[in-house]
Amino acid sequence: MSDKLKQIINKQNTQQSVVTDQLDDVVQLVGFVIGEEEYAVPILSIQEIIKPFSWTRVPQVPPYVMGVFNLRGAVIPLIDLRLKFGLAPKKHSDETRFIVMRHDDDVAGFVIDRLTMAIRLKKDHIGAPPDTMSGEETMIDGVGKQEDKIITILKVNKLLERDF
Amino acid sequence: MDEFQEILQDFLVESFELVEKLDEDLVELEANPTDLELLNGIFRVAHTVKGASSFLNFDVLTHLTHHMEDVLNKARHGDLILTPDIMDVVLESIDLMKELLYTIRDTSADAGIDVSECVVRLDKVSGGDGDVETPAAVEPAPVVEKMVVAAAEEEVDYDNMDDNEIEAEIERLLQERQSEDRAKREAKIAAGESVPEAPPSPIDEPVSAVPEPEPEPTPVRVVATPVASPIPVPHSAEPKAAAPAKRTAASVEQTIRVDVKRLDHLMNLIGELVLAKNRLIKINDDVEERYEGEEFLEELNQVVSIVSLVTTDLQIAVMKTRMLPIGKVFNKFPRMIRDLSRELSKEIELHISGEDTELDKSIVEEIGDPLVHIIRNSCDHGVETPGIRKAQGKEEKGNINLKAYNEGNQIVIQIDDDGKGLDADMLKNKSLEKGIITEKEADNMSDKEAYSLIFKPGFSTAASVTSVSGRGVGMDVVKTNIEKLNGMIDIESEIGKGTSIKLKIPLTLAIIQALLVGVQEEYYAIPLASVLETVRISKDEIYTVEGRSVMRLRDEVLSLVHIGDIFEVERILDANEYVYVVVLGLGTSKLGLIVDTLVGQEEIVIKSLGDYLKGIEGIAGATIRGDGGVTLIVDVVAIMQMARSVKATSLVSTSASAGAVSHEKNKASDYTVMIVDDSKTDRTIMRKALESMGITLVEASDGQEALNTLKAGEHNFDAMLIDIEMPRMDGYSLALEIKKYNKYKNLPLIAVTSRTGKSDRMRGVESGMVEYITKPYSADYLASVVQRNVNFKSEFL
Repeated sequence: MSDKLKQIINKQNTQQSVVTDQLDDVVQLVGFVIGEEEYAVPILSIQEIIKPFSWTRVPQVPPYVMGVFNLRGAVIPLIDLRLKFGLAPKKHSDETRFIVMRHDDDVAGFVIDRLTMAIRLKKDHIGAPPDTMSGEETMIDGVGKQEDKIITILKVNKLLERDF
Repeated sequence: MDEFQEILQDFLVESFELVEKLDEDLVELEANPTDLELLNGIFRVAHTVKGASSFLNFDVLTHLTHHMEDVLNKARHGDLILTPDIMDVVLESIDLMKELLYTIRDTSADAGIDVSECVVRLDKVSGGDGDVETPAAVEPAPVVEKMVVAAAEEEVDYDNMDDNEIEAEIERLLQERQSEDRAKREAKIAAGESVPEAPPSPIDEPVSAVPEPEPEPTPVRVVATPVASPIPVPHSAEPKAAAPAKRTAASVEQTIRVDVKRLDHLMNLIGELVLAKNRLIKINDDVEERYEGEEFLEELNQVVSIVSLVTTDLQIAVMKTRMLPIGKVFNKFPRMIRDLSRELSKEIELHISGEDTELDKSIVEEIGDPLVHIIRNSCDHGVETPGIRKAQGKEEKGNINLKAYNEGNQIVIQIDDDGKGLDADMLKNKSLEKGIITEKEADNMSDKEAYSLIFKPGFSTAASVTSVSGRGVGMDVVKTNIEKLNGMIDIESEIGKGTSIKLKIPLTLAIIQALLVGVQEEYYAIPLASVLETVRISKDEIYTVEGRSVMRLRDEVLSLVHIGDIFEVERILDANEYVYVVVLGLGTSKLGLIVDTLVGQEEIVIKSLGDYLKGIEGIAGATIRGDGGVTLIVDVVAIMQMARSVKATSLVSTSASAGAVSHEKNKASDYTVMIVDDSKTDRTIMRKALESMGITLVEASDGQEALNTLKAGEHNFDAMLIDIEMPRMDGYSLALEIKKYNKYKNLPLIAVTSRTGKSDRMRGVESGMVEYITKPYSADYLASVVQRNVNFKSEFL
């Protein structure tokens, strides 16, 4: 009986390690579109994705900080990534979403034009950001290569950093 | 090791509690050196600390407390009179003891503090041979002294006691105390049924150190002493009679220690609950309006009011658990005054009242520093030296009254002195000298404004910098700290009579009462504690002086600033002829804040804006309103600052942008009409009726959506067909909202409804509808009404 149990446990262990092995070299991302470009952030840094609703303007902030909104009792800043990336403002449409991202204790909602999909990318399919864009200051974590396109992976901690 | 830590924690908690009471007792003791009850109490503290510290191997602390105990023991037996000089040594040793306790708390060891000097002095005092100064030479109260000396003569045996005997005596006393404690405990267990047993140990000496509830030892001693003057009898008996009562009360109180974090968490949860309650009330109001007269409403009403009642009670109850008596802060002042008056060679007496007044823990922590500064200031600048006071016909001894009391939703802490008072002219001159104000400002200043100059950074009237004051920092600290707590400062003063400073502080910080104001389409919450009053004025009453708006408020000139100028609010809505002015008061300054509407008073829960948005000038935080929206809380302190640099803007909006969008119509589809109805069928019927005209039709399913579509500005609407009964925002409200905008003033709004009552029609007209079509209607009729209202050109037909 105990031998059998051991076998099962061993089996489970090996299975688990296989799973973690797989997870280790795969990154799960959520892709979204801002303007013409597709971007992605790690799925684990996303707290939730919600449909747009009303927010409150906050004075004396750059235009890309749209204000604050109420996320089940917490007051969270709302940032328009179009404006942040220097694109012209656009009316919210049916596809517009707020992505609430979290890094440590920092939380903020980001307005994006449209969600694409959840993406699994092998680590070796992710390249370093172009030399001109690397360094401490850049918001780009890397460039994910897919069959037909490339996706810019953003650094969530940089997005959540106050830069005004 | 863990066990040791646990014991250590208990030891520290107990010691700090004991020490806190000690300062107060010692100062009282100096006034009544013969008060046995007090002496015994103090002795017990030293003894407890000594016992525990020797057990925990804190040698330095043990060494120090041992010698303190010696001195106190002698005093207790009347071998030693506690003169101010001996008191200095004792107080010094207590300070050292505190320092040691802090060191132990931080490092779990008592190394690093040199106590040897103090111990030598203590030793000299207790040894009697050390020449610390003969007690009789500086004794300030000879009457009391006589009595004590007399008492000392009587128990001469104690003088000859050696260390061992004293130790034995202490042991005996301790045992007595323990057995007494045990008796008390038993009595408590018996739940008050049985009378506490008498202390089992026999009292065989005339002077007993047992903390008896009755002051019986004194009369015995006084009677037995032939030299005793009759005066001290009531004098010494009175405090003793009062003291035991106080102490018994304290020992009976039952408490539980709770981690502050838990209370904070509880407070947060209550905050959420208050928000939910606000929301429930709002929904209830909406439901009431929509289903007027329905039976279930009453039931709903009941539930809502119970929930809101219980929430309020719960909030108060939880707030109370966080309350601490302000006495915790007041305790240290008797000692401070004593030290200060000796340092400044003044005679000052401190009278404390209202120390039971309770304040939120976080406020109690913040209020200490400001009070220290104010009291130091009163001692140094307020109360004169005895010589001057005598010359002015005042009592030589100066008085400082420190009292705390509740006033509405606020706590008032009042500090009065009967010193020389504030001289407004002198304050102005000093400020001019230091360049804090200009000559012109000085001329226009009222006395009250001049008094508040003492809070300016860098201001000091002291001719020289002393260790007590003169750096011009202290009072500035007072102002910033009080403002941080949303408090106000009020100064009253009369030259030669004294000064009275009132600090008004809100009860709690997390949940506050706020005044909600509207400007254009935005709302802001202003802490009610900073709002003095609100007034409605017409625009003609606003004058412009040197580019700033001002108004006359009774006999004062109040400077004004528009909230929209501070928060960069876009002016889209039509400005009314009348505006509201919220008069803000903070510390001693005032400002009028112009707003468009007053919404009302509401209890709000303060939430932080988080790291990303912190430090925005003028915003103290945010709160969540009943409708789930976020409202920003105004930082009154910052607004006052910002108001100085904001230029007045004209209140009358330039109407250049308004109403200028009348495009030439070239074809039928240039006409755009919005259909607002929550029923898909109704919308389709209307669409069918109007489609034949070839005009562009846009649909919205309720008032809110319609308003959003309108504001989005993608279409230039020529008319709107509006249903009255709709969810979220009904037709009347929609019409009212639309009519607020200048550029929609002339937009025809047509009601299409099944409500046929006369009052319904009236409401329609009041809210700005031009036509009223009742369902059912014929398609042709609808089309003709629309054509008429959009000035449909006949050639398109």
